[in-house]
Amino acid sequence: MPDAMLEVRDLEIRYGGVPAVRGISLEVGKGEVVGLVGPNGAGKSSTLLAIMGMVAPHRGDVLLDGRTLVGRSTEAIVRGGVSLVPEGRRIFPELTVDENLRLGLQGRRSREGAEEDIEQAAALFPVIREARDRHAGVLSGGQQQQLAIARALVARPSVLLLDEPSLGLAPKVVDDVFTALAEIRERGVTILLVEQRAQFAVGFADRTHVLANGQFRLTLTPADAGDTDKMAAAYFGS
Amino acid sequence: MRRFGSATQLAAPVALLALVGLAGSFTSRSVQFQFRFALVMAAIVIALYVFIGNSGVVSFGHVSFVAVGAFAAGLTTVPEALKLSLSPDLFPIIASAEVGNAMSLVLAAAVGGLFAFLVGVALMRLSGLAAGIATFAVLVITNNVLRNWEAIGPGARTLSLVPESTSFMQATVGVIAVAILAFLYQRSRWGRVLRASSEDPYAAQGSGVNIYRQRIVAFALSGALAGFAGGLFVHLLGSITTQQVYLDLAFLTLAMLVIGGVGSLWGAVVGALLVSGVNSLLLSAEDGIGLGFVDVDVPTGTRLVTLGAVMALIMLFRPSGITGGREVRLPGLR
Amino acid sequence: MTDALQTIIDAIALGSVYALVAMGIGLVFGVMRLVNFAHGELITAGAYALVLTNHLPLAVGLLVCFATVIGLALAMEVAYRPLRTSPPTTMLVTTFAVSFLLQAVALLAFGARGQNANVLEKLNTAVSIGDLRIRWVTLVSIALGAVLLAGMALFLRRTDIGLQMRAAAMDFRTAQLLGVRATKVIRFAFVLAGVLAACATVMLVVSRPLVTPSYGFQLVIPALVGVVVGGLDRLTSATLGGFAVGFAAAVLGDVLPADGRVFLDTALFLLVIVVLLVRPGGLFTRSRAAWERV
Repeated sequence: MPDAMLEVRDLEIRYGGVPAVRGISLEVGKGEVVGLVGPNGAGKSSTLLAIMGMVAPHRGDVLLDGRTLVGRSTEAIVRGGVSLVPEGRRIFPELTVDENLRLGLQGRRSREGAEEDIEQAAALFPVIREARDRHAGVLSGGQQQQLAIARALVARPSVLLLDEPSLGLAPKVVDDVFTALAEIRERGVTILLVEQRAQFAVGFADRTHVLANGQFRLTLTPADAGDTDKMAAAYFGS
Repeated sequence: MRRFGSATQLAAPVALLALVGLAGSFTSRSVQFQFRFALVMAAIVIALYVFIGNSGVVSFGHVSFVAVGAFAAGLTTVPEALKLSLSPDLFPIIASAEVGNAMSLVLAAAVGGLFAFLVGVALMRLSGLAAGIATFAVLVITNNVLRNWEAIGPGARTLSLVPESTSFMQATVGVIAVAILAFLYQRSRWGRVLRASSEDPYAAQGSGVNIYRQRIVAFALSGALAGFAGGLFVHLLGSITTQQVYLDLAFLTLAMLVIGGVGSLWGAVVGALLVSGVNSLLLSAEDGIGLGFVDVDVPTGTRLVTLGAVMALIMLFRPSGITGGREVRLPGLR
Repeated sequence: MTDALQTIIDAIALGSVYALVAMGIGLVFGVMRLVNFAHGELITAGAYALVLTNHLPLAVGLLVCFATVIGLALAMEVAYRPLRTSPPTTMLVTTFAVSFLLQAVALLAFGARGQNANVLEKLNTAVSIGDLRIRWVTLVSIALGAVLLAGMALFLRRTDIGLQMRAAAMDFRTAQLLGVRATKVIRFAFVLAGVLAACATVMLVVSRPLVTPSYGFQLVIPALVGVVVGGLDRLTSATLGGFAVGFAAAVLGDVLPADGRVFLDTALFLLVIVVLLVRPGGLFTRSRAAWERV
């Protein structure tokens, strides 16, 4: 196991006393891709929000390259090198594609190399060059997803979190997104991928944890992608 | 056991009010007024609480109901000749109306309640920010109309010679009656449904609760109680002007409720009495008083600054108020 | 005809001043979802600063005015920090309390009787343009208003911090997730609101030199009306709403007969209630969205 870039230890999250995540632990090694799947309400998004500092965990710790993230502000965590592509993309429809991208730059530690990173993102995601000055609201779902990932990338993160990137997208479009993700993985970015449509995650990630009702049930590898029983478990968390 | 517990919740505020009423009657003449003033303030604050505490919606406009209650009670207990000398254009029905003291209080409650009902029908679909602004608008409009429409009242002039019938007995009994009604409402099915709805509006709607209707009930009741308190108010002062029932009073009563604790009857009573006490103390200090061996003399205006500062600090750091919005509980009982 | 034109020009001037105030309120609301009832106290503070520096050279007076207003705005930003996660009603009551507190402080410090701030009195002289006699202050107000509004628009569109402010106003959570510094953005909004308020104060004080503790409060209430009526959610509609109220108040003030004029407040606030009920998103917004449903 390579050195853990991102580590979650005994994480417990409660919303007003109701437990959403009941003590999970995972590690993502440097350059690895780890998937997190499970039915709705299993606690996947909550885990990502806790890593980003948007939700305070009831108990447990989150470590980035050995340094604890719990208790730090979201802006500090982003600057520390963790970027989230939120569920539903959450781009700013009334801002242009360029402006959306430039907002992503706020997460950088320093301005140096910003232009190069933008160029790289544009190379990866054609929509950025094509629709640069158009309002992001006119983009299709797939294009918006590309923009959201690009926006997270230009912050030059060491860890990229993705919350359901396939949401609402047609399979062909999802293919394109995952092709781009593969390239990002090539560049050595560590990835934690949350997906409800398990097949995308299981085939792509180095390993995938199945989360149901706030707890881990089992762990799958790409080899399990063809196993119907295990995939059913991944979807329904049984 | 449960009934005993809930009886405590009512007994505590009532006992406190009775105590204040009793204690006040033994003080010197000049101080007696302050005590009766505190009791009338408590009545207004309880009325305010009946709506805000149960619905979770802020109303800046309740002093409008105090105002119409005060003017209704005042105008019906002064001689016709006086009324006409103040406003020659007064509606004849208002000019000729003359009732006894008790009746004037009933009238004040009725007018307040009716006015609140009408306003409620219009506004109760609003929440949060919109409700705050809309009720503030009601406050401004009521003041503007009362001040300028001389067919319904003395306008900008002072209505004086109102019988000063708010004795200790009246003030204490009056505010206790208001407290009891407030308690009965919050314990009733309607009150509890409204309170539950304010904590979880979606669940409430899902259960078929008509929040709009429930709010109107609370609003109208609190308007009636506020009107009644307005009647007590005018009979305490012996006179009334539109400025006395406008922004300053609105701020004062809201401050009292917030400082005491918006969520409970106990909070309303504690807040009103406590702030009245401090208010009176500072008022005397502004005139220069001797507190035992020390002479306190603060510049005029300190009182308002202190009040404003305390309210702001409470809102920032303890928004649930001194009592935390909880009723009185005997240890061990639920 | 000239009378009508005169009225309209005066109304545009007053509208411009109200627009500046409304924009300040809108900026803070955008980034914090906070309607600052105490915004008027910024104006009162600036006005009293001008009163106190009456005898000093104009430049000093203006500097002190701006410094006071911006300083107070920054103090408000700090004071309001505990409110960031509060429900809107708590915010409303708190800012109401702060407004009252500051008015009480002004009353304590300066007394209830008004004091004169005789600033830029020359602007009160009139210049003849054709048949019209227009005061210099009217022209300056319109010009200054236009310049500031255009400047703000440019600032929001072209600068980095402006972009961050716009994003924060649209979707604060996502902006945070991208690393936008919440405190920096909010502080900037308050500073800009302060600058706009200070400019508005100077224009106001020229026409109305008598400063009382409720000087700013009396102005901010109609401005607030304008912001709500125009549309709280967007800066442009909020500013337009402010302008509309100022314009309408000036026109009605000239046009209404004496006995009708006293009910101006009633008319204005009835309009607010109607707008809140019928089109809670505001008159100048495109959608009929309401902020809250239940």
